[in-house]
Amino acid sequence: MASKPQHHRPLAGTTQARQRTTSTNSTAAASIDSNPMKDAFSKYANYLNDLNDKRERVVKASRDVTMNSKKVIFQVHRIGKHNKEEVLEKAEKDLAVVRDQYISRLVKELQGTDFWKLRQAYSPGVQEYIEAATLFNFCKTGTLLNLDGVNAALQPLSDPSMEPLQINMLDYILGLADLTGELMRLAIGRISDGEVEFANKICTFVREIYREMTIVAPEIDDSSDMKSKMDTMLQSVKKIENACFSVHVRGSEYIPHLGSADASFPLLGEDDIER
Amino acid sequence: MAGWGSETHMPHSPTVEKLEKQFEELRSQLEDSGKLRERIRAVAMEIESATRLMHSSLLLIHHSRSISDILEKVKQQIGVLRELYNKLAEIIRECPDQYYRYHADWKSETQTVVSLLSFIHWLETGTLLVHTDAEEKLGLNPTEFGLDIEDYLIGICFMSNELPRYVVNQVTAGDYECPRKVLKFLTDLNAAFRMLNLRNDFLRKKFDGMKYDLRRVEEVYYDVKIRGLAANRESAGKEGDP
Repeated sequence: MASKPQHHRPLAGTTQARQRTTSTNSTAAASIDSNPMKDAFSKYANYLNDLNDKRERVVKASRDVTMNSKKVIFQVHRIGKHNKEEVLEKAEKDLAVVRDQYISRLVKELQGTDFWKLRQAYSPGVQEYIEAATLFNFCKTGTLLNLDGVNAALQPLSDPSMEPLQINMLDYILGLADLTGELMRLAIGRISDGEVEFANKICTFVREIYREMTIVAPEIDDSSDMKSKMDTMLQSVKKIENACFSVHVRGSEYIPHLGSADASFPLLGEDDIER
Repeated sequence: MAGWGSETHMPHSPTVEKLEKQFEELRSQLEDSGKLRERIRAVAMEIESATRLMHSSLLLIHHSRSISDILEKVKQQIGVLRELYNKLAEIIRECPDQYYRYHADWKSETQTVVSLLSFIHWLETGTLLVHTDAEEKLGLNPTEFGLDIEDYLIGICFMSNELPRYVVNQVTAGDYECPRKVLKFLTDLNAAFRMLNLRNDFLRKKFDGMKYDLRRVEEVYYDVKIRGLAANRESAGKEGDP
C-alpha cells in the first residue's frame, strides 16, 4: 500500500519535467502549425511556472524568517534580573539579521500586485517577525511597537528603484495576537525570578491588547484564523492574571524561597492547580 | 478591600492610554478597508445576478431552438457585465496594487462569467475564447484590472462541463455532426491543458474533472457512429479521420 504513492511521486516529477520541455518547444512548434489554442496555452504555462517558482521562493524565505525570528524570541526569554542589557543587545542584533538577510529576500519578490497575491505564502514568516519585533520592543521600552515603527525598520532594505516592503495591517494584527502567548511565558518566568513588578506591567499590557483585539478581530479579512487566536489569547491573559494573583495573595510565603534554584516550581504548580 | 482594588486596577495608566490610541488608528484603517470591501461585494452580487440571467437564457440551447436567436438575447447581457467590471475597476483604482487583496470577492463570479463567454464564443465560432479576448469582451484593461489567468482557466473548465449535455441534446434533436465537432474541440483543449504544470489546487481538481466530459462525449460519438447515423451527414471518406 505504502509503496504506491512513493512510486507515484518520481513519476509525477518526470512527467512534469517532460511537460516543461514540451511547453518550451511548443512555442516554436505552435508557430509552425499555428494552433492558436496551443499558442495561448504555452503563454499560460509560462505564467503559471513563473508564479509557482516565485511562490516557492517566497515560501522558503518565509520559513527562514520564521526560524530566525523564533531565535530572537528565545533570546529575549533569556532575560533575567541582571543581564537585561546584554540579552536585549544580542536580540536587537539578531533581529537586524532577520531583516537584512531574510526579509530582504521578500522585497523584490513582492513588488506590485504580488504583495497581496502571495500573501498566504509569506504571511507566517511575517507574523513571526512581528511577534519577535514587538516582544523585543516591549522588553526594551515597555510600549507597543506600532505598524509604522515596524515598516520604518524595513525601509532600508529596498533600494530606491523599488517600492519599499510595507507589512500589511492584517499580518501585523495576527502577529500581535501571537505576542500575548510569548508575554505569558515571559511573565511567568519573571514571577519565578521575583520580578513581580515587571510581571504586573506585562499583565496590564496584555490585558489591554486583548481588550482592543475584541473590537478589531471581526474586521480581519479571514477571521476564522483570528477567532482561534482570540481564544488562545484569552487563555494567556488568564494565566498571567492567575499568576499575578498568586503572588499578590500569597506572595509573602514565596519570597523567602525565591533565592533557591527550584523556586519556580511551586508557583507554576499553583497555576496548574487553579485551572 | 477598596484600597486593595485600586492598587491593581489602573484604568488611566499611561500604558493603557497609549495602547488605546495606537489601536484607534488600526481600527479606522480597518474600517476603511471594510467599507471598500462592502462596495466590491455589492458589485460582485450584481455580476452574479447578471450571469444568472445569462445562464438561464443560454440554457435554451438545450431546447433545440434557433441558436442565433438565443445568442442574440444572451449577448445583450455582456454590455451589463462590461459596465459592472468597469465599476469594479474604478473601485480598485482607489487602492492600486490591492487587486488580490479583494480578489476572493469576485473570483467565483468571474469564473462563471468566463465559462459563459467562452461557451457563447464556442457556439458562434467553434473555437476557444483565449484569455486576452475574454479580457477584451469584458472591457478590461490588463494593466489596472485584468482577468486573472487562473480564473480564466477555471472558467474554461466550467465550460467544458457544459458540453456533454449539449452534445446529448443536439443528437436527440437530429444533429449527428455535433459529437465529432465537440470531441475534436475537447480533445484539443485537454491536450492544451496538459501543457500546464498545475499545483494541487482548485484548478487542478477542475482539470482532472474534464476527462469525464471528454469520456461522455466520446461515448455519444461512439453511439452515433456505430449506428451509422453520423455517416448520413458525413461523406464516407471521412470515416478514417481520427
